[in-house]
Amino acid sequence: MVRFEDVVLRYGNGPEILKRVSLQFDPGSYHFLVGASGAGKSSLLRMMYLAQHPSAGRVALFGRDVTGLSRRETALLRRRIGVVFQDFRLLDHLTARENIALPLRISGQAGARSDKDVEELLSWVGLADQMDALPPTLSGGQQQRVAIARAVIGRPSLLLADEPTGNLDDRMAVRLLHLFEELNKIGTTVVIATHNESLVQRFPHPVTRLRDGEVEIAGAVPPGTAPATHTVSQRGGD
Amino acid sequence: MAAKRSRQAVPLDRDSSGRYLPLLVAIMVYMAALALAGALSMSKLAERWDTGLAGALTVQVPADPAADAAQFAAVTEALSATPGVVAVEPMDSGAITALLEPWLGDAMLTGDLPLPRLIAVTIDTDAPPDIAALQARLQALAPGSLVDDHQRWLDRLLDLARAVELMALVVVVLVVLAASIMVAFVTRMGLAAHERSIELLHLIGAQDSYVARQFQNHALSLGLRGGLLGLVCALPTLYLARMLLQRIDSGLLPELNFLAHEWSYFVLLPVAAALVTMLAARVTVLRTLARLP
Repeated sequence: MVRFEDVVLRYGNGPEILKRVSLQFDPGSYHFLVGASGAGKSSLLRMMYLAQHPSAGRVALFGRDVTGLSRRETALLRRRIGVVFQDFRLLDHLTARENIALPLRISGQAGARSDKDVEELLSWVGLADQMDALPPTLSGGQQQRVAIARAVIGRPSLLLADEPTGNLDDRMAVRLLHLFEELNKIGTTVVIATHNESLVQRFPHPVTRLRDGEVEIAGAVPPGTAPATHTVSQRGGD
Repeated sequence: MAAKRSRQAVPLDRDSSGRYLPLLVAIMVYMAALALAGALSMSKLAERWDTGLAGALTVQVPADPAADAAQFAAVTEALSATPGVVAVEPMDSGAITALLEPWLGDAMLTGDLPLPRLIAVTIDTDAPPDIAALQARLQALAPGSLVDDHQRWLDRLLDLARAVELMALVVVVLVVLAASIMVAFVTRMGLAAHERSIELLHLIGAQDSYVARQFQNHALSLGLRGGLLGLVCALPTLYLARMLLQRIDSGLLPELNFLAHEWSYFVLLPVAAALVTMLAARVTVLRTLARLP
């Protein structure tokens, strides 16, 4: 599903943000990506949702090397990826309902059925009474839930979430991670970058820890939790 | 609900980049409408001159007090007998006076001003007479006679009419070019202003054509609005020009009387302006995005 081989990332002539990272996330797996701020979690995710090309090394998604993809191929590949951005990236002039429906509109799936899906999802994330609210009128937590709903509405094959629980209370955070588990059960590969390690400890999924742009621990299952079916494999690199 | 669904993902109607676009398109369409009116009227004028004078000659016999009516009759007979001449119609002094009155005035013509005698001759355009031979023969019968086939004058007038038509066409082409450049500039400003929204659309799977559609739909709407405004402003101008030309009432000047199908060209101007605007926006977006990494 996701495969990094000796991936190096640097911006311009700056220092290496990621240093020869090699890892692989298998299809249908559920992973946490943890590490301190600046460890490279977001940069790793940016490469996974094709917003960033590696400076060196090879990135493959869905079995395809992403180097040299045309703009059209990149767009089509992105439709299979749901992303929860750290800063939500909602469109302020669209309502919560319209923001969530946007991926469906873009892929030409908008219609009466998708309207119903959007409403169900909004209810599920506890925003049934805010369907027609504009993002600036919503709290940070509410905006985050809209962003999460937008990421999962298209039932992506790969779900990437950058600090998806940062603005949520503990109860809502656990509830959303369970939603991701539901998606995972129907085949979606889930990768969640978070600094909330106490939350991570409550789920039996492999954890990959980054430190200073390098993979420190790959695919460790938190102690006391049941081992997950799929694990991350660390490859070469370090 | 339907209105909400149609809301554009890129909020182009909320920024100022396209605020003056309708006004600029209106000015362009106004200029194009005047140029089109000029081209159409000159084309019709040229056609009128061409068909009006084709197959016609004017023979001028000088006013000579010494010459008698027999000499004039001889010229008329010679013309009638010439192969290729279909009709010969001597003009009476009343008709000649009426022709010259607009230029010389009433007072001059009532005096003793000697006026030449004129003969309107219709010739067979398929088998015209030899003009030089005819001229020589008439000179012999009435010295000083002139045969005018209007060709030199007509050629110059037709050249002028075609030049005006060409200039009008150049104006229309320049207007389209200027409109395209202007739209490209406005579109680039819009792309810069909405960079983050566009980046988001790309990240969630939008192709460049989806983004281009946002811009082209907006440009189409602005272009149509501006085009209609330009046409609405051009119509009173054309009406005024028509009134002024009618007051002069000269066969030499163009008329602004258009047929139904010619009016349809004017109605098509706002549509054409909107399409040019739309196309320019689409091409600009696609070319700009294609250069992105």
